[in-house]
Amino acid sequence: MRPLVRLGSTIGVAMLLTLAAAACTKKSDDPDKGSSALTPAQVKVALVPGGAHPYFQPWKTAGDKAKADFGLGDVTYNETAGWDQTKQNDVLTSLAAQGYNAFGIFGVAPENINATFTNLKGKGFHVASLASCPAGDRNEADFCLSTDVQEAAYKAAKAAIEAMGGQGNLVHLTGNKVDSNTQRRIAGVQKAVDETGGKVKLLDTITDIDKDLQTAQKAVADLLAAKGTQVNGIVTTAYNPAVAAAGGVKQAKLPIKVIAIDDDPTIIDGIKDGSVAATVLQNPLGQGYVGSYALEKLAGGCTMTTPGVIIDSGSFVVTTANVATYDTDRQTKTDSLKQDFDTKYLTCN
Amino acid sequence: MTDAAPPATSAPPRSLPLWANPRIGLVVLLTALVALFATLRPGFLNTYLTLVPLQADISVYVVVGLAQLAVLSLGHMNMAVGRMAAFSAFAAGLVHDRFDVSLPVALLAGMAAAGLLGALAGLIITATGVNSFVVTLALDFALIGLVSLLYAEFTPGVAFAGQPDGMAQMRADTFADYCVGDVCGPPIPLQVPFALVAVLLVGLVFRWSRVGREVLMVGANEKAAKLSGIPVRARIIQAHALSGVLAGLAGFLLAASNGAFSASIGDGFLLPSFLAPVLGGTLLVGGAVSVLGTVLGTAIVQVIYKGLNLLQFQVDELKLYIGLILLLALSLDRVRHVVAEKRGVPA
Repeated sequence: MRPLVRLGSTIGVAMLLTLAAAACTKKSDDPDKGSSALTPAQVKVALVPGGAHPYFQPWKTAGDKAKADFGLGDVTYNETAGWDQTKQNDVLTSLAAQGYNAFGIFGVAPENINATFTNLKGKGFHVASLASCPAGDRNEADFCLSTDVQEAAYKAAKAAIEAMGGQGNLVHLTGNKVDSNTQRRIAGVQKAVDETGGKVKLLDTITDIDKDLQTAQKAVADLLAAKGTQVNGIVTTAYNPAVAAAGGVKQAKLPIKVIAIDDDPTIIDGIKDGSVAATVLQNPLGQGYVGSYALEKLAGGCTMTTPGVIIDSGSFVVTTANVATYDTDRQTKTDSLKQDFDTKYLTCN
Repeated sequence: MTDAAPPATSAPPRSLPLWANPRIGLVVLLTALVALFATLRPGFLNTYLTLVPLQADISVYVVVGLAQLAVLSLGHMNMAVGRMAAFSAFAAGLVHDRFDVSLPVALLAGMAAAGLLGALAGLIITATGVNSFVVTLALDFALIGLVSLLYAEFTPGVAFAGQPDGMAQMRADTFADYCVGDVCGPPIPLQVPFALVAVLLVGLVFRWSRVGREVLMVGANEKAAKLSGIPVRARIIQAHALSGVLAGLAGFLLAASNGAFSASIGDGFLLPSFLAPVLGGTLLVGGAVSVLGTVLGTAIVQVIYKGLNLLQFQVDELKLYIGLILLLALSLDRVRHVVAEKRGVPA
């Protein structure tokens, strides 16, 4: 008998709840939420990458520099999200509970990250999407400052094709396949290959090898063992595969042209000794620095001229010709980005 | 109603001292942790930045824990719990995308799809006699590929662009946003009732239903269960199907909190799915489950995670401390158990 009584009371409670729900109305949003202007010293910026990755390390320096240069209350760097969107959302709300009120975020999942941005903005915070933009046509963050990954991959593939003498077999090594940025990189490489009109063949696209260096090294070793003699060029659009390919090809002494990404010391050394044909640099320092600057301006009462605008933080092809001077180019780009925010992207009273 | 084991023979009508009840220990630990973190970081008690997201996380992971508990009752494991969730999110996204169905229909479709996968796992286990660990691990591998292929086939990338009406509200709103006249609800996120219903139903199944009791009998001693006339194969398939349905619900809840039906749903489910039930007193060998313990176990894990986050530990320290605190919790429970046994109290 008792189970029936319990079941009956459960159903009863459920029915009461349903009735209550039917009678209720939704409270309208508070329009004044968090629109008061803050002084730079009141602005606390949190730079939150999707997880620990060498690419984001310059954000620490960028944050410290921004804090000093713009007199910000605080800038913190938190890489504990562990490449899990749920955890990253948790990290973000925890930081907000700690008093951080402006966020520079590399979203783990570009397809979901708009939801995270909307949540934070709904609570009155300012949000920048750094180093990656949300997938799709909408960007719910105040702005997105990132490498145009498709363009960077296209540039890298063009450089590879040029180094290969305009013909042969190309292999593309990249990161997480279920990441929409990877899909854009694949599209960028494909575009460059298509433009050769069949002279260059994309032999293979190897994904999911950016987890750590060991995974990438194993994939490169397997590739070179199986197809090393057929491959003329390797284009890499993720950090670990780039380091692994540079090292692997050098060790195997094969005449393969490697196009790397970013400026790990192994890669820069490779360019200097000729084992890496070129590398495509991004601008993480600029993203962190200019991103923090713009967030401070937004918190201070400026608005975006075009909310959600997407801004390319720049990508640079580095070869032996400019290996000594590339940092100057990058600094110039960072300066011009900051200027663009003042003149184009921000509207301040 | 939540603590369930096969009926003990002639249990003495002796009352259990409070300290010997494992659930009380968990409640004490949970209270101590909350007090500790609230003292160290007042932000821990911030309603909208800490407590509301914490409740939403607990809701998702309680259901994940229950999905594992459903097969732990048999002494089985479901290594594919995360991928079943991913498959459920895909199915829900697909029916919404193609037929523009409402939220409840999408939810049911997702749960049904994952339930079928669970039943398939159960069917393979009973038909072949291969260990559940191996079968579900193989299923997990197959599903990683399948889910990725399905998203590539049916979506422009790795997620469905649209969501049924109401999912955005599930993510962002709490009952405090809904009012009858001037009286508004408590700041509890809308995911919580879903998890609550799952907890109640799973508790009812294992405590009161014949099927649930028979599943536990199978878990305690399969041969004895068979000789007693229990349809062992059917019960194994049913328990795995229940695990699938719950994994499906968890996938849906996570899709609601994360904002999209995407391929990466469920990636982080496997470890928490074991952690919560085991911490809560569910046996890995089967035959006894604790639904309330799973709820408390989940709450403890999520509170620790949130607290350490607020203390701004770096990534390696965070993992180290979570591991240490969990070991401590499990050891304390073991000590309590041994002391209880020595004094002749069943615990």
